[in-house]
Amino acid sequence: MNPGTRSSASDPTDGFDATIHAPNRLRICALLDTADEAEFAVVQKQLDVSASVLSKHVTVLTEAGYVEQRKALRDTRQRVWLRLTREGRQAYQAHLAALRAIVGL
Amino acid sequence: MAELEHVQASTAALSATPWPRWFAVVLTLYIAAIPPVLGGMTASPQWLLPRLAWTAIMVMATTGYSALFAVAAARWREKTGVALRLDVLPKRATLPLAIGLPALLVGPAVAFRGTGQPVWLFAASGIGAAVSVAVHLVFVRLHRQTS
Repeated sequence: MNPGTRSSASDPTDGFDATIHAPNRLRICALLDTADEAEFAVVQKQLDVSASVLSKHVTVLTEAGYVEQRKALRDTRQRVWLRLTREGRQAYQAHLAALRAIVGL
Repeated sequence: MAELEHVQASTAALSATPWPRWFAVVLTLYIAAIPPVLGGMTASPQWLLPRLAWTAIMVMATTGYSALFAVAAARWREKTGVALRLDVLPKRATLPLAIGLPALLVGPAVAFRGTGQPVWLFAASGIGAAVSVAVHLVFVRLHRQTS
């Protein structure tokens, strides 16, 4: 959790996370929450973004402690697999709940 | 929110990619083999082979199946680029299987031990194989619809 980006506990938008809220980062979290773990190229294809854009957002999420990376060999080339950390999954779920509260779902 | 649901749906479709056909065949053969082998293991008096031989067959079949499962799972992950998760499959399909398949595989061995009629084992073997093929075809269809 990023305490600086969250509202107070009594606020209905408690759990809102500015780090996750950027559209591409929200989509990355949604994908990783569903897939558990996904290869970088698959995330790129699913979200239809360039490698550099995805890399930038993954770096932000990694630095926040929300995403972790694992390197593995595939077809003699090294591939990067991404997954949400436990903290990242909790932050994403809390952010999703905050968004639902805001739009009244 | 709609965009998130779209991402989740397309990712779930990827996670629901069916097994390769060769592994579906392996799985079907393994399921079909379980009732007769289990029947032989628990038969009293012994049926066709000594019980120890049936047990050895079961151990070899399970070891071979486990090794092929590991290969199939690794290839599946390489092909799809996502983690192998069984919890993304529809519960309406997995729940009846989780309850029904063990009953289908173990029950006939009990019936065979009680009645001495091997027809229980062969019937369960055939039904198990048919269920395995049907489940594979359902997931192939489901995957095509959602992807």
